[in-house]
Amino acid sequence: MEIIQNFWDALVGIFTGSGLVSLDWRNYIMIAVACVLFYLAIKKEFEPLLLLPIAFGMLLVNLYPDIMAAPETTLMSAEECIKAKGSTAGYATTILNGVEYYNVPHYGGLFYYLYQGVKLGIYPPLIFLGVGAMTDFGPLIANPKSFILGAAAQIGIFITFIGAIFLGFTSAQAGATGIIGGADGPTAIYVTTKLAPELLGSIAIAAYSYMALVPIIQPPIMRALTTKKERAVVMEQLRPVSKLEKIIFPITIVIVISILLPDAAPLVGMLMFGNLLKESGVCERLSKTAQNELMNIITIFLGTTVGATATGANFLSASTIKIIALGLIAFAMGSAFGVLFGKIMYKLTGGKVNPLIGSAGVSAVPMAARVSQRVGQEENPGNFLLMHAMGPNVAGVIGSAVAAGVLLNVLA
Amino acid sequence: MDLMSKFTISASMLLTGFVIVFAVLFFLIFLIWLMGKVVTGAQNKAASRKAAKVAKEAQESTYKQPEKAAQPKLEAVKAVNPDGVSDELVAVISAAVYGMYGSSEKVKIKSIKKSKSRSAWANAGVLNNTRPF
Repeated sequence: MEIIQNFWDALVGIFTGSGLVSLDWRNYIMIAVACVLFYLAIKKEFEPLLLLPIAFGMLLVNLYPDIMAAPETTLMSAEECIKAKGSTAGYATTILNGVEYYNVPHYGGLFYYLYQGVKLGIYPPLIFLGVGAMTDFGPLIANPKSFILGAAAQIGIFITFIGAIFLGFTSAQAGATGIIGGADGPTAIYVTTKLAPELLGSIAIAAYSYMALVPIIQPPIMRALTTKKERAVVMEQLRPVSKLEKIIFPITIVIVISILLPDAAPLVGMLMFGNLLKESGVCERLSKTAQNELMNIITIFLGTTVGATATGANFLSASTIKIIALGLIAFAMGSAFGVLFGKIMYKLTGGKVNPLIGSAGVSAVPMAARVSQRVGQEENPGNFLLMHAMGPNVAGVIGSAVAAGVLLNVLA
Repeated sequence: MDLMSKFTISASMLLTGFVIVFAVLFFLIFLIWLMGKVVTGAQNKAASRKAAKVAKEAQESTYKQPEKAAQPKLEAVKAVNPDGVSDELVAVISAAVYGMYGSSEKVKIKSIKKSKSRSAWANAGVLNNTRPF
């Protein structure tokens, strides 16, 4: 009889501890959202390297919320402690009202510890290190005017800030929402962890989703704002850039930006460090590690833990819907201002600049540059805008880091 | 936050962001442009100095060697190289032709010219290679 009772108690214990009892309806909705993201990542190949880890983190945290649980300490009397644990195991003691209690530690969940890299702002600069080691700034050095387009595409950030303020967000939350317009995942995460960590899940997912949707969002805006003649412009070949220039470039940028905007130094500094590793030609092993192993490891940690912030209780709120809507506006505005400034450059240069390269100013390297190439080739199959668009594209990375520095300086 | 303070904070952020981002990036444009000028200028200077040195050495060696020995060599290069194509390129193309036909067939390269524009075949090739983008 006792055996059956023990068996029944065990069954009841397993059932009450299972997700069938502990999860609420919001967790199930988030599990469905994670499955949609799986579909987009695997079937549609929308930014799969990031969307897949994010979706998996989201799935896991909604199945087992304690995976993000913070560590804590409970006070237990010696009697309770021995009853529960079998011994006091050398726990530290605290005396309250003359009674001795043991400090029994409860360790945090796996993702809690991995998430510290996001919370403390460690992962985004490390991602930038890898991005820097993979980026060729040659097109930007050959045509530094591309910086104008990289700056123009950041206007969306500040316009969206206004929208967010009027939708009821605090100024810090509005700044974090606006940064989605920079179309740069690590920058968005970095700024959000500093300004509005409570919105991290929604903002990261919106930022990466819109980056993945660049080929769908940008072309209609580009076509609407340009004429057929403008889109068909064939640009002159860029001048070759010497190795010396490529070495001096990251050093110059990091000195200038770190002095003028110290808040942008972690992002820009690591970006330029990665680039210097690559361009110096004397640190091939380090450059390859930054581009591959380190980048991949950080991507896995960043993706899963950012996804794990999207619990049902956090994510399913009115603010998420507002953030997703504002993110789309930020992204569209950034693309539109890039193209409009491209048109201005087209006029000023007497038709030598194809305005389509302006939309690449919204970071999202190299996807936005590919979109400029593709839309340009629709008008003129012999037109190759890719390298010209890479200039504004990498300028956009620097531009969004500068915009992040401004937001952090003013709002943090 | 009342309407007036919302308006104030929005306007000041837009102005601050716009001005600082453009000012920093315009400053960078100037710096990169300046860097390009200085580095390219210095490298051109070094290259022309090196070219002058090589020319001077060649001139000196021409004076030292008998004229008969120097002339056929120059003519041979000129015959294959009328269009400003470098000697290295001529060597590469010749090696490729030799690699294709071998010594069994008698093949003669009569001229190598630079194409003024990209041919339809070259265009198709570039298009094919950049299609994934």
